[in-house]
Amino acid sequence: MRSNRLRKIGNGPKNGLNGPPREKREIRKNGISASPGIVIGKAFLKDSELLVVPTTKIEESQVEQEIEKFLLVLSETKKGLLKLRTNIADRMGDDHARIFDAHLMILEDVMVVEDTVALVRKERLNAAAAFQRVVNRVMTSFDKIEDDYLKDRYVDIKDVKRRVLRNLLGRSKGTIDRPTEPSIIVAHDLSPSDTAQFDRRTTLAYATDLGGSTSHTAILARSQGVPAVVGLEDLFGRVETGDAIVVDGNTGTVVVNPDPGTIADYQAEIKRFKELEDQLLTLTHYPAVTLDDKEFSLCANVDMPEEVASVLEYGGQGVGLFRTEYFFISQEQLPSEDDQYKMYRMVAEKLDGRPVTIRTIDIGGDKIVGYLNRSAELNPFMGWRGIRFCLTRKDIFKTQLRAIYRASAHGNIKIMFPMIVQIEEVTKAKEICAEVRQELKKDRFAFNEDVEIGIMIETPSAVAMAEALAKEVDFFSIGTNDLIQYTLAVDRGNSKISHLYQNLHPSIIRFLKKTIEAAHKRKIHVGICGEICGDPMSVLVLIGLGVDEFSASPNMMPEIKRIIRSVTYDECKSLVRRVMRYRTTSEIEREIEDFLKARVPSVREIERTPR
Amino acid sequence: MVEFTKSINNKIGLHLRAAGEFVKIAAQFESEITVYNGERYANGKSILGLASLAAAKGSALRIAIDGPDEGEAKAALEKLIDDKFYED
Repeated sequence: MRSNRLRKIGNGPKNGLNGPPREKREIRKNGISASPGIVIGKAFLKDSELLVVPTTKIEESQVEQEIEKFLLVLSETKKGLLKLRTNIADRMGDDHARIFDAHLMILEDVMVVEDTVALVRKERLNAAAAFQRVVNRVMTSFDKIEDDYLKDRYVDIKDVKRRVLRNLLGRSKGTIDRPTEPSIIVAHDLSPSDTAQFDRRTTLAYATDLGGSTSHTAILARSQGVPAVVGLEDLFGRVETGDAIVVDGNTGTVVVNPDPGTIADYQAEIKRFKELEDQLLTLTHYPAVTLDDKEFSLCANVDMPEEVASVLEYGGQGVGLFRTEYFFISQEQLPSEDDQYKMYRMVAEKLDGRPVTIRTIDIGGDKIVGYLNRSAELNPFMGWRGIRFCLTRKDIFKTQLRAIYRASAHGNIKIMFPMIVQIEEVTKAKEICAEVRQELKKDRFAFNEDVEIGIMIETPSAVAMAEALAKEVDFFSIGTNDLIQYTLAVDRGNSKISHLYQNLHPSIIRFLKKTIEAAHKRKIHVGICGEICGDPMSVLVLIGLGVDEFSASPNMMPEIKRIIRSVTYDECKSLVRRVMRYRTTSEIEREIEDFLKARVPSVREIERTPR
Repeated sequence: MVEFTKSINNKIGLHLRAAGEFVKIAAQFESEITVYNGERYANGKSILGLASLAAAKGSALRIAIDGPDEGEAKAALEKLIDDKFYED
């Protein structure tokens, strides 16, 4: 669309954001879109200050003083961290604060303290250099260790090292590690402790080298409603604090030192996006109903209780998918029954009677949790995950179910099991639910006896068995991300074949049709959760197939609603009948695109992703 | 000074969490505790030190304890390793 112009290298005057004018080339990087929206602003590099640690020989007479200073700095750093911990616990809950426990553990480690002191004493090294040497040695020895949990702590160790060194070098007052004016946070990687410290008011967007769409930064950005692009590989090394930068979370693009033309293009894009959003938000209080009065339920997918506010703001009728993995991933240890209960209860109460479907943990695939002592699998998407994991770790599963059932006394809660492949998994999981209900009764807890139990349809075998499965459960939710990946045998992350990942592949449309028909034959509710809901063409097909519920990221809901309100159920049904005759994705897409242009022009026109 | 050698048989060896359990116990004693994994050794009261030994499941650890309460420390640590660091 605007690619030719964008790739030109700018030679116009640069706005001197960062010291003396330099020749700066526009750099475009594509990463993974983690949270939508577009922002133009100044970069703030987390970790921008390179700590130059001088190595000096200290006088014999200064040794004890140096050691004393080191110990004082340690205890002050600890105090600072404890304060930060309390602060964040108050603001964001204890679970977010727990990330600092690893930091504190490192500060208190005897080896780190004693070895540093010994180096100062024996080699008369200054404390900063000694401390750096000790911590670096620890980190090097960790390199050789296969322990996912340990690897996750790497960022924490680096973080503590930096804090202590900064305090030792006496620059803690003068240097900033968070922006003072609204900025775009650029980092190689962000630890939960980093992101927790940023003030929402000065955070315009995030751009990181590492991470995927389910990583911590991505989830947090979505919950804060700020744009984010992750997986940018080597962006950090190409930007400096103060550089002008564009983060386009809609397409997963970041532009550093944008040319005036690029800026103008993005300003137009932002304006359009804003107008679209405003326009869409006016729909918030209208129902998701077609022109011929077929109503659909419109719900949101969320990861954190904090997101519920935006669900309501965007007019969601409930939470169609509450993923519980994030809660498990963000912890140092397995969350207790009470911790889980509190969170599920909070979500249910915030929704005030609207339904929330809680999916039991789908650990595995791309989400490995260190404390579960899982070793890396060669093929995690086909590995020990979802319901398979839960049925073998019945202890973890039951704890979660107890928490969900207890929370059911406080709202409209449903339970959903992921990754179902065979009927036995459903019957076993239901038996465990029954056991949990018995136990809760014995323990005299209040709960809803009739919590609806449903399953994800996300494997080809579940589609094949849909009718039989429908007899066993109260509802289906079709998880299209995995269903498409498993059906077409395509890993979207693999750029060589990602073009083969097609929402509208004829086999996918048939699978959706078969699943929805099976559910309706058994008179159960069937929803769809997955990124397919963000694709207008697929939404038309789903309307025509008569799916009961759409569940998508909160900010996608208004657009889905707009499409629903622009068409009739009848014409979508006949559209589906027409596309069922085609044998190729391209024919199907052409047919739907024509329909979309004719019937929903405004959506097409302001469609955000340039192709 | 007492010394003993023991194989660790918990699921994935002396990783960070197991090291944490070890230190929790070791720190209760006054004696100096040194843990050897082959050539490498670490202060038994340091989580990071122990974790950096990279002792996988099945590694034989030599543990040397020196101090007034070395007997009690030995008994407590032996029990911890026998109990597989309370993993299950």
